[in-house]
Amino acid sequence: MSGDLLPAVLLIVLMLAILGAGVWIGIGVLGVALLALTLFTDRLAGDSLALTVWGSLSSWTLTALPLFIWMGEILLKTRLSEGLFRGLAPWLQRIPGRLLHSNIVGCTIFAAVSGSSAATCATIGKMSLPELRRRGYPEVMSVGSLAGAGTLGLLIPPSIIMIVYGVAADVSIGKLFIAGIIPGLMLAGLFMGYTAVWSMRNPGAIPPADAPLSFRGKLAESRHLIPVMLLIIAVLGSIYAGIATATEAAALGVLGALVVAAAQRTLTWKGFWDSLMGATRLYCMIALILAGSSFLSLAMGFIGLPRHLAEGIGTLDLSPFALILLLMVFYIVLGCFLDGISMVVLTMAVLLPTLQTAGIDLLWFGIFIVIVVEMAQITPPVGFNLFVMQGMTGHQISYIARAAFPYFLMMVVAVLLIWFFPPLVTYLPSQMKL
Amino acid sequence: MKTPLSPLFLAFGVAGALFILATLLLQVFAIFGRLVGVTLGGHDAYAGYFLAAGSFLTLAYALRRGDHIRVTLIIGRFEGGARLATEIFCLAVATFLSGYFAFYSGKLAWGSWQFGEVSTEIDATPLWIPQLSMALGVTALALAFLEELVYVLRHRRLPPQDDTGPANVE
Repeated sequence: MSGDLLPAVLLIVLMLAILGAGVWIGIGVLGVALLALTLFTDRLAGDSLALTVWGSLSSWTLTALPLFIWMGEILLKTRLSEGLFRGLAPWLQRIPGRLLHSNIVGCTIFAAVSGSSAATCATIGKMSLPELRRRGYPEVMSVGSLAGAGTLGLLIPPSIIMIVYGVAADVSIGKLFIAGIIPGLMLAGLFMGYTAVWSMRNPGAIPPADAPLSFRGKLAESRHLIPVMLLIIAVLGSIYAGIATATEAAALGVLGALVVAAAQRTLTWKGFWDSLMGATRLYCMIALILAGSSFLSLAMGFIGLPRHLAEGIGTLDLSPFALILLLMVFYIVLGCFLDGISMVVLTMAVLLPTLQTAGIDLLWFGIFIVIVVEMAQITPPVGFNLFVMQGMTGHQISYIARAAFPYFLMMVVAVLLIWFFPPLVTYLPSQMKL
Repeated sequence: MKTPLSPLFLAFGVAGALFILATLLLQVFAIFGRLVGVTLGGHDAYAGYFLAAGSFLTLAYALRRGDHIRVTLIIGRFEGGARLATEIFCLAVATFLSGYFAFYSGKLAWGSWQFGEVSTEIDATPLWIPQLSMALGVTALALAFLEELVYVLRHRRLPPQDDTGPANVE
């Protein structure tokens, strides 16, 4: 073991040094892998590099990624979030916490057409924050619930990070998507529960309800929800019914988003081109990370580090539950420095054999890792949702992180719940028509 | 940052976006084609090639727009000479690695052409054609890093960034 430990420690230190010095993540990872192959094996590193990266980035399964990103870019320019708020608000007036729930329910619904938490947060917040402020809702709860619920963009399908995980761990993306539905709704329920309890304990803080609407009036306002519901049916329904693969559903999603934008007359040629260019650039950023990590996986495989790690952890005699708790802490710490996508691809390059040895279901682990990455989104100093919220509200990162902390705790509860009740994750995928 | 090579990177970026558009069209044709009973042979493989071209060709342009993620937690606190020195280090490392990658990408495409390698799937495409996108795109990325490195060394200051900020996708 000690003979194998040296290269492992050396590589980890080197990785931290290169990434910490600010080298672009994909490039830095590629460099570490290159060095590992050159130092510890006699492989022809350059040829393997080109062949591995080509193989991984020309894979058909990745096609869903840019398409879902593009769909989000188009929807960002529509008035979908406005319609969501108008359609939801009348129904939420009686729940303790009233319109604070528009953040949570709005994010939950929007997450079902958006693959990213930053986009979910920004889209819903653009509409709900000014409305909540105008009515005098407590700022800390408006900010906290939005920052927390925005992360549902990752867990509720479609989800960029699930596609990345699915490719890295070789798990069906369609199944991952469907597996995320119940945990996503459960987490939304936990968020709403916390918000309601807080509101009941601070009754003076919540402003009075708006003038009540008749039931017919409420239904009439709900017509604004129709476009988003149709999009959800087109994307998720087609996957669940087995009509479309995740990739085809993504293509349908782009078409659907274009139809919505055209119907609202928010679609211009310039808007179309900007959304395409934006999606291409965002995807390209992910592609560079995927390129580096695919080569890292290869290098790690050759020097046998993942296998040694699995054996090393095996000798610790941890129970699977202890392992999961350990990994949760590890990811939360890692999430303070790295973005979620890098976190997933870099750790999966070494963790797979460990998980397999411990007998952990990779579909279940995918949902686990997505929830943990959600936590990382709202933990300082690096958390994408914190950045988005800072841009939108002008508050300090530390203020937003404190406001979101109760929602962070709800995510810990969610992890415990899916651990003790795994069917929450595995039931729906097992019922899929394939 | 406006440099002599900027128009080239922009052109590559536009080409990359068109390839992503082509990926969408291919998927749409595949879905509707299946409904009317027409199957496009090897469309999966083509979707993969288009996607690869879309990502590789855009690399340099995305760098210029500040899209590629890096950890700025530590270097963000540096000022003056220390910041400049780390930037030179980062750019030198990135120029070397992307140059190395570009060389072997070119070698891969050249080898595929030399030995007449074709795809093992039913599309049977000569592989050097799609692989050319990787060779060109990664070469452009290496040039973009090199250009920035030269800029920092000559002007003793950080290259001006477009204010779009890093790509925000999660």
